[in-house]
Amino acid sequence: MILLQVVVSGLLMGAVYALFSSGLTLIWGMMNVVNFAHGDFVMLAMYAAFFAYTLLHLGPAVFIPGAALLLFVLGVVVYLGLVRHIARGPMLAQILGTFGLALVLRYAAFWAFSANFVSLPDTLVGGTFELGGLRIEASRLLGGVLALVITIGMHLVLTRTMLGSRVLAVAEDRQAAMLMGIRPDRMQALAWGVGAASTGIAGALIALFFYISPTVGESLALIAFVVVCLGGFGSVPGALIAGLAIGVIQALSAYLIGAVYQDVVVFALFLLVLWIRPQGLMGTL
Amino acid sequence: MKQWPLVLLGFVVIAAWPLLTSDVFLQRLGALVLLSAISASAWNLLGGYAGQVSVGHSVYFGAGAYASLVCFTHFGWPPIAGAPVGMLVSMLIAAVVGTPTFRLRGHYFSMATIAAAELARILAANVPLLGAAVGLMGPPVPRSAWDLSFISPIPYHYLFLAVLTLLLALTWQMQRSKMGFYLAAIRGGDRAARSLGVPVLRYKLYALLLSAAFTSLAGSLYAVMIGFVDPDSGLGILISVKMVIVAALGGAGTLFGPLVGAIILIPLEETTNAMFGGSGTGVTFIIYGAIIVLIARFRPGGVADLWHSLITRGRRGAARGA
Amino acid sequence: MLLEARDLTKVFGGFRAVGGASLDVAEGEIVGLIGPNGAGKSTFFNCLAGDNPPTTGTIRFRGQDVTKATPEAHARAGMARTFQVPVTFEDMSVAENVMVGAFLRHGHRAAARRVAEEVLAFTGLDHLADTRAGSLGTPGRKRLEIARALATEPVMLLLDEALAGLTPAEVRLAIELVRRIQQRGITIVIVEHIMEVILSLAERAVVFHQGRVIAEGAPRDVVDNPEVVAAYLGHHMKRVRRG
Repeated sequence: MILLQVVVSGLLMGAVYALFSSGLTLIWGMMNVVNFAHGDFVMLAMYAAFFAYTLLHLGPAVFIPGAALLLFVLGVVVYLGLVRHIARGPMLAQILGTFGLALVLRYAAFWAFSANFVSLPDTLVGGTFELGGLRIEASRLLGGVLALVITIGMHLVLTRTMLGSRVLAVAEDRQAAMLMGIRPDRMQALAWGVGAASTGIAGALIALFFYISPTVGESLALIAFVVVCLGGFGSVPGALIAGLAIGVIQALSAYLIGAVYQDVVVFALFLLVLWIRPQGLMGTL
Repeated sequence: MKQWPLVLLGFVVIAAWPLLTSDVFLQRLGALVLLSAISASAWNLLGGYAGQVSVGHSVYFGAGAYASLVCFTHFGWPPIAGAPVGMLVSMLIAAVVGTPTFRLRGHYFSMATIAAAELARILAANVPLLGAAVGLMGPPVPRSAWDLSFISPIPYHYLFLAVLTLLLALTWQMQRSKMGFYLAAIRGGDRAARSLGVPVLRYKLYALLLSAAFTSLAGSLYAVMIGFVDPDSGLGILISVKMVIVAALGGAGTLFGPLVGAIILIPLEETTNAMFGGSGTGVTFIIYGAIIVLIARFRPGGVADLWHSLITRGRRGAARGA
Repeated sequence: MLLEARDLTKVFGGFRAVGGASLDVAEGEIVGLIGPNGAGKSTFFNCLAGDNPPTTGTIRFRGQDVTKATPEAHARAGMARTFQVPVTFEDMSVAENVMVGAFLRHGHRAAARRVAEEVLAFTGLDHLADTRAGSLGTPGRKRLEIARALATEPVMLLLDEALAGLTPAEVRLAIELVRRIQQRGITIVIVEHIMEVILSLAERAVVFHQGRVIAEGAPRDVVDNPEVVAAYLGHHMKRVRRG
């Protein structure tokens, strides 16, 4: 029974991982560039939610879309101001660019918000459900279910709409897309916007039940790498399955081996997968 | 190289530095610049020359720092005697971890190195033999001269200068030899390099082994001078990041790039730390982050690249004048 | 035979890019591989060069089985190549690019430098020796790739569309270079879709279509082969012959 409890809470957390990892995989699939600041985007969204509540007294119904919008703008700005210019540069520049951005965001947060952990009140989305002997906090349930729905929605928009197919066309073949009258630059800016917006929603959701600190993005970024790599680079459904799996693996290893080792298991798994299948578990390079 | 007089002048200034000032802060600064130049130059062998951007070199730095203080804590050796142990352990880790990781290219390689380093940090924080989260201390008072425990930074300055000179001489020799050409070819592209008979994996491994050994030595020297290591100061991701930034600012893949980067960044870091006290680290890394964003965006070749274009422009200007 | 490739197939996923193609190359020849786009000639070529080993079949080079050998082993065995899209080492100078090739047989810098200088003179790149490779245009890069390959002192040179994208004047210069390379005793296999090049350069043409060899022989005869004309050369050939 406890094991089932652990698995369910792992799945709920995993759905949130899936959401922000989908953003990373989208960016990756579009332009073969990793956003090393992805985890710090999530951190910013968490603080955005926190301050929206404590300073402006706004509820989740406002600050979740608000964080999404804020991060969308940040994503587009980062693309236009930085990524667009380094994407075809030397490898070192590609890696340093977003890595430097991560440092700036992380330590600016240290400076502005201090290193202290903060959190939203538990009562914001209060209550606990009892379901057939399982106890589930409402905030985690909301987070997990909403993340799942949005991730699936993202996949549907990408595969079923005109706009989505234009984005995918650029990911598939930039030249061909240009011949069809699609402007790759706009689609890539959009991908960065949407990718960042996914961290906006995910961050606001995590803030409902998780502590907030300037360094929280560091481990979240690594988790996103793991998910993207397991799920196949550029695949949203892959990220969904891998995100859920990582959530469960993390919860199980925390329960069975101890909380300090939950990330050890995830990182070790990541290295193992990269070593055995450099192209990722489900994807092709 | 036509810039030998300049190099000689630089060497003389650096060698004379601690004698030019009696300010201990400035003397210490000199030693710290050299130490940072050693680790960044060691990173440069793999990250710069071979173009394999490791963001996990803290593993080797930490192995060196921990080896020194483990040898002291558990066997009573002088910390410096742990340096060769650390170098051996680092080369072993490099061989085991590096071989499969080198099949990854570009971003994947960097991601894997970060994950490996984080793994090492978390593990070290939970191993009692390594002092767990508290860390390890060096000898509180020197037992003999071999403990290399000095109050004045000057002896460290010359120790570090000797190591840096050795490392740069070795790098210079390598750069001109077959290995230097092969590493540059690998940086230019695996596929073309292999078509010319370059055994890519083998040469990446050579570069990593050399790089890991010297990064480890830098870690040991750090432990000898500071007399303390814990998971963050030995294995934290910022240790790796600093090596990358210092080398990239000066010019990755150039002989003196890392030294130039250290000369610019370390005084900056020490000054902000002194000015802002406890929150100084934060400010330092905001500045560091901003610097690498700017390098990536405007000058991927770093200061070395800027220098070359200035020289070329200068020559052209002179030619026009004449 | 210098090179014997027997019944090579190469399957990607479910797609059969090469389906049972064979090729023999004798010492000293110039052989042209031709065929329409997607005929499998580039895939076949990459199998020969060791870049992408065939799914089935065997390749023997100088009597040794090199079917599964790595690209670097091919280079050591004496098979050099160029790429369809040139990949020069951009931040090295032209001379340094060539020295990378020369280091294969000469461990010392001075010896490698000598070989590179000789090759640069031979390929007419000596005046560009100290230029950064990244600042060359396409013709320069293609020529540099050939120079770099020659510096490995090969027995056989595989040229992958080494003349594509050149102006007619540059094509003539390149043809002349390939002839001089042959005169050095180096056997040449060239993938090309410019018929003019094959007609004036190759002693033997091998035509690929849908992953198979459909014709083989003297270029003039191959061009008249009805099957070949039907397969692809059709209108393209008429133009060449009229001109």
